[in-house]
Amino acid sequence: MKKIFLTLLAILSPALVHGQQGFLDVTAPGNRQLQFGISACKSLNGGQNPEIVKEIDDVLRFDMTLAGPFSVMSGTGGNNNSGIRPGDFNFAPWKAAGADLLVKSGYRVAGSTLTLEFRLYDVFKEKEIVAKRYTGNIRDLRKIAHTFDDQIMLAITGEKGPFTGKIAFVSNRTGNKEIYLMDYDGYNVQRLTRNGSINLNPDFSPNGREIIYTSYKRKNPNLYRRELFTGTEALISARPGVNITGAYSPDGKRIALTMSKEGNSEIYLIDTTGRQLARLTNNQAIDVSPAWSPDGSRIAFTSDRLGRPQIFVMKADGGDLHRLTTSGAYNDRPRWSPKGDRILYCRMEGSGFHIYAINPDGSGDTRLTSEGSNEHPRWSPDGRFITFSSKRGGKEAIYLMRADGSGQTKVSRGNAGDSHPTWSTHW
Amino acid sequence: MSHTLQRNEPGFGWMLLCSTAIHLACYFLLVVFHFSPRPFKEGPVYYVDVVTLPVANPRAGTPSSPGRAPSGPAKQEMALPAKSSLKASAKPKPPNQKPAASKETARQFEERMAKIERDVDAKHVSAALDALQKKVATAGNGGQTGMPGAKGTEAGSDYASYIRSRLTDAFRTTISFQTKNPEVMVRLTIDKAGKVVGLHFERSTNDRIFEDAVRRTILKAAQTFPPPPGGGKFEYSYRFAPEGVSKK
Repeated sequence: MKKIFLTLLAILSPALVHGQQGFLDVTAPGNRQLQFGISACKSLNGGQNPEIVKEIDDVLRFDMTLAGPFSVMSGTGGNNNSGIRPGDFNFAPWKAAGADLLVKSGYRVAGSTLTLEFRLYDVFKEKEIVAKRYTGNIRDLRKIAHTFDDQIMLAITGEKGPFTGKIAFVSNRTGNKEIYLMDYDGYNVQRLTRNGSINLNPDFSPNGREIIYTSYKRKNPNLYRRELFTGTEALISARPGVNITGAYSPDGKRIALTMSKEGNSEIYLIDTTGRQLARLTNNQAIDVSPAWSPDGSRIAFTSDRLGRPQIFVMKADGGDLHRLTTSGAYNDRPRWSPKGDRILYCRMEGSGFHIYAINPDGSGDTRLTSEGSNEHPRWSPDGRFITFSSKRGGKEAIYLMRADGSGQTKVSRGNAGDSHPTWSTHW
Repeated sequence: MSHTLQRNEPGFGWMLLCSTAIHLACYFLLVVFHFSPRPFKEGPVYYVDVVTLPVANPRAGTPSSPGRAPSGPAKQEMALPAKSSLKASAKPKPPNQKPAASKETARQFEERMAKIERDVDAKHVSAALDALQKKVATAGNGGQTGMPGAKGTEAGSDYASYIRSRLTDAFRTTISFQTKNPEVMVRLTIDKAGKVVGLHFERSTNDRIFEDAVRRTILKAAQTFPPPPGGGKFEYSYRFAPEGVSKK
């Protein structure tokens, strides 16, 4: 009896499940942005502080607007008297407004201690995606909000955002070209150098704790290394001639730079103490601006060995050299993307420069800027964004844009003349 | 005296004239009857219940061996307008009041007329359906139909295609991606009540935003899924990708 039953089951079971082989295509046109709702930050202990509410809203809006996949909805929507925890509020108004995602936040202030709680929701599923509570000094409010925005990017795109990174740049706001540090969105500017000389080409170490830069404070353009948290500074290359355009290798153990100690500008490798490791180029032309590939195996640089400055790529030991750019009469300042798929550079066109991106094989050469003169392009640590300096508004200032050239936004405050930006990893 | 029998026959001219007249008359009759418009015959009107299910693999074809003719549509299911009842109800009432006897007579007369009209309509419908069934049966037994080259074994409207159409509708409102050529292959399991009980990503290009858009699509579309036919569980794979994105 059991055998008969099992046999019947074996015969009938495939018929009960309509399993079919193959697949069907489901396609749709377009690429819509996710509608991002931001609910006004709510006081969790009764005390109202409109400045905190506004600051949080500003940070969230700026970060999410720049991010790209989101369209931040105007207005706060919904009933702000409701809570921020799941079940404490109604999704219906946000659903009706077409929101895909919603951030609810709350704050509590006790003396100078600020507690911020953020919750990101999927409106359609009515489900909490990520929730974080931060406690810190009230002056770190923007940093805390940026930190949660990094978490939003991680939850939605699978990759952390770069919003807690800092931008180091050169500014002549005091009359001299000094190195400064600021949040990526232009807030919290701090002056790093105070030597009254010319300081150029800052570059962050991979861990973001140090910068190297060239300074003329001893008359000769020498390369210095500075620890950001202690302020300790070391001279690491003071060879005769120039010691410029230093770039940390991805492992942070080597520095590629341009030196002219033998009369001609060539690319060299040194370690972080300044000991020379290798000379990578050797010809009569000027070779400058080395840029590492993310795996540290290759270096892109500028050379006029064929008559005009063009971008070349070689192995990190100086071999296998080939020309990358074939268009434009003057191409300079290459910078390899953190993912290795694109190389930024700037090209002289007319009386100014424009920023271009090209694939490492020389294909896909694309212009990213169209207004003013734009130079010094650098990637954000995640490769999603680019910071650069532009003279489009008169004085040179720091701008941001997405990797495809969209969303160009000025982040420099004031009108002092800022240039040479470089974006650090998370602090 | 000789008697000469004279026949009063027409001459050659008359014969030619008569012949011409007869030929012209025949020609005229031929032209009139052959080319004149025939009286218009109104054909029966068939009401077809349009099914909007998509076709799984739409390829028309000529059956290699004619199958059994499909049975015609059931008479009861044909949605025909109720002419007579409409007429009866739409007929205006006479403005003047008549005596009770004549009123009763008029009412009976109208009822009889309505009944006759209904009978006539029913006969017409019945005749039309019979003609349609005969026509379908003849087509199935004999001549070729469909496009040449096909086998006649192609799948027609089915549940998998219906689900795809629902997914496509939802996908239009949710599609979002961050990489160049996102693609996701999903194995979908629907229980006998039409509820999505399984959602397995078989393949993905790891675009998180696109994967979420696909999840949202399925949840949105699942609100419109009917139960699978046959009362069993349904499993099938669907490949989601943006439309018109180059694979290069």
